Amino acid sequence: MSTPSLMNDVAGTYGPGDGPRVEVVLVYQSLLGIYGDRGNATVLARRLAWRGFDAVLTVVEPGDPLPDTGQVYLLGGGEDAAQISAVRALQADGGLHRAVDRGAVVFAVCAGYQIAGRTFTVGDPTVPGGEDQVIEGLGLLDVTTTRGPRRAVGEILSRWRRSSGAPDDADDSALLSGFENHGGWTRLGPDAQPLADVEVGVGNCADGTEGAVNGTVIGTYPHGPVLARNPALADHLLELALGEELAPLPRPEIDALRRQRLAAVRHLR
Amino acid sequence: MLRLDPAALGELVAGRRVAMVSGTNGKTTTTHFIAAAVREALGPDTHRLVHNADGANLHGGIASELSQQPRADLAVLETDERVVADLVRLGRPEVLVLLNFSRDQLDRHHEIKGLGRSWRDALAAAGEDGPVVVANADEPLIVWAAQTARKVVWVDTATTWTQDASLCPQCGAPLLREQPERGADGTLTAGGDWRCSRCDLAQPPAAYRVVGDTVVRPDGSSVTPQLNVPGGFNVSNAACALAAAELLGVDPEAALTGMRTVTAPAGRFGTATISGSTARLLLAKNPAGWAEALPLATSETVVLAIDSAAADGRDVSWLWDVEYEQLTGRSVVATGPRAQDLAVRLAYAGVEHRTVPDLAEALRGHPAPVDVVATYTPFQRLRKLGGL
Repeated sequence: MSTPSLMNDVAGTYGPGDGPRVEVVLVYQSLLGIYGDRGNATVLARRLAWRGFDAVLTVVEPGDPLPDTGQVYLLGGGEDAAQISAVRALQADGGLHRAVDRGAVVFAVCAGYQIAGRTFTVGDPTVPGGEDQVIEGLGLLDVTTTRGPRRAVGEILSRWRRSSGAPDDADDSALLSGFENHGGWTRLGPDAQPLADVEVGVGNCADGTEGAVNGTVIGTYPHGPVLARNPALADHLLELALGEELAPLPRPEIDALRRQRLAAVRHLR
Repeated sequence: MLRLDPAALGELVAGRRVAMVSGTNGKTTTTHFIAAAVREALGPDTHRLVHNADGANLHGGIASELSQQPRADLAVLETDERVVADLVRLGRPEVLVLLNFSRDQLDRHHEIKGLGRSWRDALAAAGEDGPVVVANADEPLIVWAAQTARKVVWVDTATTWTQDASLCPQCGAPLLREQPERGADGTLTAGGDWRCSRCDLAQPPAAYRVVGDTVVRPDGSSVTPQLNVPGGFNVSNAACALAAAELLGVDPEAALTGMRTVTAPAGRFGTATISGSTARLLLAKNPAGWAEALPLATSETVVLAIDSAAADGRDVSWLWDVEYEQLTGRSVVATGPRAQDLAVRLAYAGVEHRTVPDLAEALRGHPAPVDVVATYTPFQRLRKLGGL
């Protein structure tokens, strides 16, 4: 008997591999993999490979140690029970904290974002035994998640603050598009900066902010996957991890998708 | 649609023998299999059967079908996952087939366990008056949901999709799986038995077993369905249908003869002429369904149609859980209202493609027959365009 080995389809080496080796680590796909967020791993590995890096995508499951060699670690969305299982396994492993200490990037989406915070609340008041439980998070982000008054479900558009910490009004490249689907509402503590400001949707807790940043740890709610819809954010993560600027990578089909999604979500406003 | 009083559904079902089928994937085809088996056994008396053949499987659709055939005393009903509990309570079904549970339309059903719990509670409440359940032993959530039934006929469906079940539905601990079996070419031939790492929930021993193209019945005899719909998953559906038909009193040979008459259940796997091209229509609603349908799409050019209407799920993030990489080297046409999302997915998969959002336009000008894989809404539009 063994735990299921998933993701054989995406794990492995990408691209020509002449350039420096860069390792992207997809954390616990079997627990945090129901909303397509593995796409963020595919996007990062491909964008590295397209630029000539020797991109390696490692998929790690609970019970196996997180590698200490990764430059980017990815967490995705999942169900309550899986989220609890994932946070306990990550606490026992300790590898994510070591990664942050040596400057690696952690990019956490939805349930993964909540896990990265100080505490989060799970439970389903509509079922017997579904009382709220407050769960200790990893403490990598100064955020706290409690149950919101309603579930946030739908297209979301926000304006990314980039590195400056201030809203970037220059052009549409700072707009982040995605699909949010979360019952938890997240509040930022003094040590976290919002990732973006909401234009359409709920975001953290309907307070106008979306996501959180603490150094090289970034949390956000949208799926999409968010890095497929927002290549500038994908490249920002890579630049943060590599400590170098990357050349632009024009892809007309992504530009067309962004135009379409921005038009669709603005129509909702 | 009119919001139906659930009691009205109870009145419409009263006095009929009922078999119902639910699950995320395969319920329309499986219901057609059972209906065809029953029809075969009825001979000239097919008017005794009522079957919601077009897949209208919510309260209203089921009620409408039943009200049109008040004299039919046998009802074979495809039932949406959300209607199962009501129909178990009101319809006193004799047989309930539970196929599988997969994430689907996550914007509405963010947790599939809640649906499983509603089935489990309804079966427990029905007690000795409840149905005999035919259940897929390969699916942990199905097994957990069916456990409370008065009697279960377990079917080992040789399912290989495991990505929606990593934790025990009973206690939340990780599930363990035996190494799946692989054929000579390395492809999966069996998913491997599962059990919980902590509690006693485990794959139950099956009465019916799918082994390759055959189904082994409880007496050990082996039958070959030789279906006229493609795919190993349809052999699994047929195994469940055979078990249900036998519970209804249909002779297994007659059941199989009937099932072989099923060729394009509600348009699925059907071939039509659309925009002058010959197109075979395959439906795929979620990653598990795509994992089944994509290997069937063997034409040189493959058309993929994506939408995000309510019935498709408004969030198309699932595109990234489908292994489109397997289409590398083929000619792919991305179509439907969300064709551009697919185009980006295909670009990252390294798959050559054209993007033609209009369905009719995307089907134009193919000299050779094309396989079309579509989500629910474009599938229905293509059926209409092709007169299927």
